[in-house]
Amino acid sequence: MEALLTLSPRSVVGLWMIVLLAALGTYAWRALGVMLAGRLTQGSPVFRWVSCVTYAMVAALVVRIIVLPVGVLAQVPLSYRLLASGSALAIMWFKKDGLPAAIVTGTSMMALLAWWG
Amino acid sequence: MSTAIAPDNRAAFRAGCRAALGVPAAVLLAGMIGFGALGHANGLGLGVTTASSVFIYALPGQVVLVEMVALGASGAAIVIATALTAARFLPMTLTLVPQIPASDRNASLFAKAHFISMTSWAVMMREFHHLPPERRLAYFTGFGLVCWSAGIPGTALGYLIAGHVPTPITMGLVLLNPLFFLLSFVEVREQSSRLALWIGGLSGPIVYQWSPSWSILICGVVGGTIAFLLDASLRGSRGAPPSHSVHHQRSDH
Repeated sequence: MEALLTLSPRSVVGLWMIVLLAALGTYAWRALGVMLAGRLTQGSPVFRWVSCVTYAMVAALVVRIIVLPVGVLAQVPLSYRLLASGSALAIMWFKKDGLPAAIVTGTSMMALLAWWG
Repeated sequence: MSTAIAPDNRAAFRAGCRAALGVPAAVLLAGMIGFGALGHANGLGLGVTTASSVFIYALPGQVVLVEMVALGASGAAIVIATALTAARFLPMTLTLVPQIPASDRNASLFAKAHFISMTSWAVMMREFHHLPPERRLAYFTGFGLVCWSAGIPGTALGYLIAGHVPTPITMGLVLLNPLFFLLSFVEVREQSSRLALWIGGLSGPIVYQWSPSWSILICGVVGGTIAFLLDASLRGSRGAPPSHSVHHQRSDH
């Protein structure tokens, strides 16, 4: 534990250790899911509650990434990101099997808005 | 995906691989190209940036890790923040595995669970009920393997071409990943799940400003529980037992 606290991302070994421990911490959730899944029956109330929790988690993460991004997307105004995502959503909503068209529209609109903005 | 094209597990595995080669692999590739460029911009090495895609294989967590490394956070803080971002994998696994017959669940599931990602989860939640239960694991394994494999060269490529690609192109590539998941929400049919998507999506950015590390867990558990109870009370008052929503259903499916 003490070794973990003193790990520094500034050293090469420290950074590799951090990545591997973060990988372990990430994988632990997947493994825990496999271990606990045996106690769950599809369609049971607990299963439906877990489904709700999953959808809420995933939606919270995805909307946060678009509304409050870190990294390169943070360089453009929120209105650009909402316009690009909103257009893609509209295509997906109204066009049958519209996923490829929606993806292409959303990403190219993002690139064009960033270009002109 | 029907029984016809997946008569045995080998065929189901191949069908999974084929299903991944297209939009899903492109989503992974683009997301990881963006991540590779982020690793380069923040001064990480090519090896460690690529290794994070191999071993962590969870893009939002990897982004958190790189950002915190750049900010000079402590090792413990980085590991904890990255692991908390990955909390979604627990309920994601819990909603996928019970759809696989118990007889197919052996120790190899612990290795295959590494392939659970937002992409594979979103697609399996849509495709599993079209597949015979005994073909689902093989289909998932093929699909997950291709997606995971796409992310590794994607990360290295993004790292190597960083700085040579105009920023607007990078922005389009980086948006592709969250956009794919946002679009996949449109195809979610169940009323309880739709309520959870709305509550989680609306609360996500708000709770994040208050507690970045814990926001996903909080929004998931609190928002998901509210959605579950709201759905139960809506169905209770209408006296409608089926969980599939009626007024949300689109005519084109």
